[in-house]
Amino acid sequence: MRKIPVIIDCDPGHDDAIALIIAFGSGVLDIKAVTTCAGNQTPDKTLNNALRVLSFIEKYPIVAQGALEPIMRELMIAPEVHGESGLDGPELPPPSFEPSQKNAGDVILDILRTSDEKITLIPTGPLTNIGILLAAHPEIKQKIERIILMGGAAVGGNWTPGAEFNILVDPEAADIVFKSGIPIVMCGLDVTHKAMIFKDETEKFRRIGNKTGKLVAELLDFFDLFHRKEGFGFAGAPLHDPCAVAYAIDPSIFTSVDYFVEIETKGQHTLGATVVDFKRKYGQKNNVTVVLDLDREKFINLMYSAVKNLT
Amino acid sequence: MPTRIPVIIDCDTGVDDAMALICGLATDRLDIRAITVVAGNQTLDKTSVNTLNLVDFLGYKVKVSKGADKPLNRELITAEHVHGRSGMGGVKLPESSLRFYEKNAVETIAEEALAAEGQLEIIAVGPLTNIALAILAHPFLKKSIKRITLMGGSIDGGNHTPAAEFNVYVDPEAAQVVMNSGIPIVMVGLEVTEKAYLTKEEIQSLSLWHASDETSKTIKALLENMLEICTMFGYQGAVMHDPLALCYVLDESLIKTKAMAIQVETQGEITRGKTVADRYLVTDRKPNVQVGLEIDRLRFVELIKELLNKYIK
Repeated sequence: MRKIPVIIDCDPGHDDAIALIIAFGSGVLDIKAVTTCAGNQTPDKTLNNALRVLSFIEKYPIVAQGALEPIMRELMIAPEVHGESGLDGPELPPPSFEPSQKNAGDVILDILRTSDEKITLIPTGPLTNIGILLAAHPEIKQKIERIILMGGAAVGGNWTPGAEFNILVDPEAADIVFKSGIPIVMCGLDVTHKAMIFKDETEKFRRIGNKTGKLVAELLDFFDLFHRKEGFGFAGAPLHDPCAVAYAIDPSIFTSVDYFVEIETKGQHTLGATVVDFKRKYGQKNNVTVVLDLDREKFINLMYSAVKNLT
Repeated sequence: MPTRIPVIIDCDTGVDDAMALICGLATDRLDIRAITVVAGNQTLDKTSVNTLNLVDFLGYKVKVSKGADKPLNRELITAEHVHGRSGMGGVKLPESSLRFYEKNAVETIAEEALAAEGQLEIIAVGPLTNIALAILAHPFLKKSIKRITLMGGSIDGGNHTPAAEFNVYVDPEAAQVVMNSGIPIVMVGLEVTEKAYLTKEEIQSLSLWHASDETSKTIKALLENMLEICTMFGYQGAVMHDPLALCYVLDESLIKTKAMAIQVETQGEITRGKTVADRYLVTDRKPNVQVGLEIDRLRFVELIKELLNKYIK
């Protein structure tokens, strides 16, 4: 079977790390590069985390660092969720390989320009890198198959009442991406809060017996704590970023509806809101596949098989 | 007989406002101290005259006060596409010879709050301009209004824009003042009002459907008008936004509510007037609003039938 060519843009981050692991373990994706952005932690930490995770699972794609801060705002990070390193919890050795000398945007541009086939982008952090790329090189849009992103929420928010973290960090970048005309799949809180993993399932990963399984379990141990102690009152940990990767691997696990979606870039209480035109008031062409639900068991099984495939 | 609840109804009549007034005037559980009128569905000259004409037509003697003719900080937007040029759809009422109450809405609200000694409730079914102005001009009202039950807002998605419901959209600053006033608020928003519809069959089964007196004919015409407009917008029947807020005060068990922290967006470019709910408790804001989330539609329909039956001569 032909593998699906993708580029993953991420800010690891516990759930980004797990997303990377699943992407490499699935065997279905042809990962052309992993690029990093600032978000869950500062840009140097997210780059280092991506390199450490990839070194640990013994995969060595092109890795490149992108924008150091959002397009026009100060960087907001999430140490409450991901700790000081951005990947607190498991012991991870330092990276065993170097990142590209080139900027993430240039790396993505080169890959897209020289590719014979269209490539899918999977951003799991703020959309800064992708937004800048599309604004600077609009002609490259035709080489992008679609953008499957973790971010936004049709209803509610997790960082403010009105907004999800990734979009809130760089709403202007998100606005560029959502207006780009490229097909967008939005794995927002509507689905990711249903993509829960529970304690007994974490143990299943630990019992696989390989080192990646142990790493995933330890990442989840830490990630789980935050979501249970905070106001969320969740019974488990929501696997935000793995949803975007899982959608690329097997969209049939998910249910979605196409809508017209816009980003609020000005609001006092709604900055970074992904406003979904549920009633189709504007009569605008749908620009986003809004993912709303998933078959949770199939999703966990997909993750489990992917982790088993690794060392 | 249980004590009647002293209330002021603040409205922008308006087809469904008219239905709310018809229901409110029919019940003996409310002691309607005044009706205050605001601009919204139509301009104030029309909404106020519609209100006065309706009260007179139905044969009641209630103070009707004129209020604000435009929002606190913005130009007025009306809903002529829903309520027609007169604000009453195609329904014509005889011109009343009654006069408006001499005091304006703000003074009337303050006067009645004092008179009711802490028991006054407000049922607000239009933009919240009058209520906000009353609170701003008379801060004592924050302590002396027992509760505000309002039709407005939505926590999922809007009806005027994808983000906002019409009443809050028209005057978001006023809504923000009211929501943060400290007065107990019940928000009867689109989550419940869009489910508060009467189907064509239910409307045709009303006793007044075959009555030939003028009152029945007028109520029937209003319902037909609502049914036509709502069907055009894709609803399953005539949606009773404003009557639902009133009915909640009559019977709280009709709606399940949840206490939530709500802020109104006043700065947004595409989210003006969105009532933003803190669903996942990501702020430490205390809940300020009881938000209606579920409705027992069949019982609501029964209550509407019961109230409308009182007009059968």
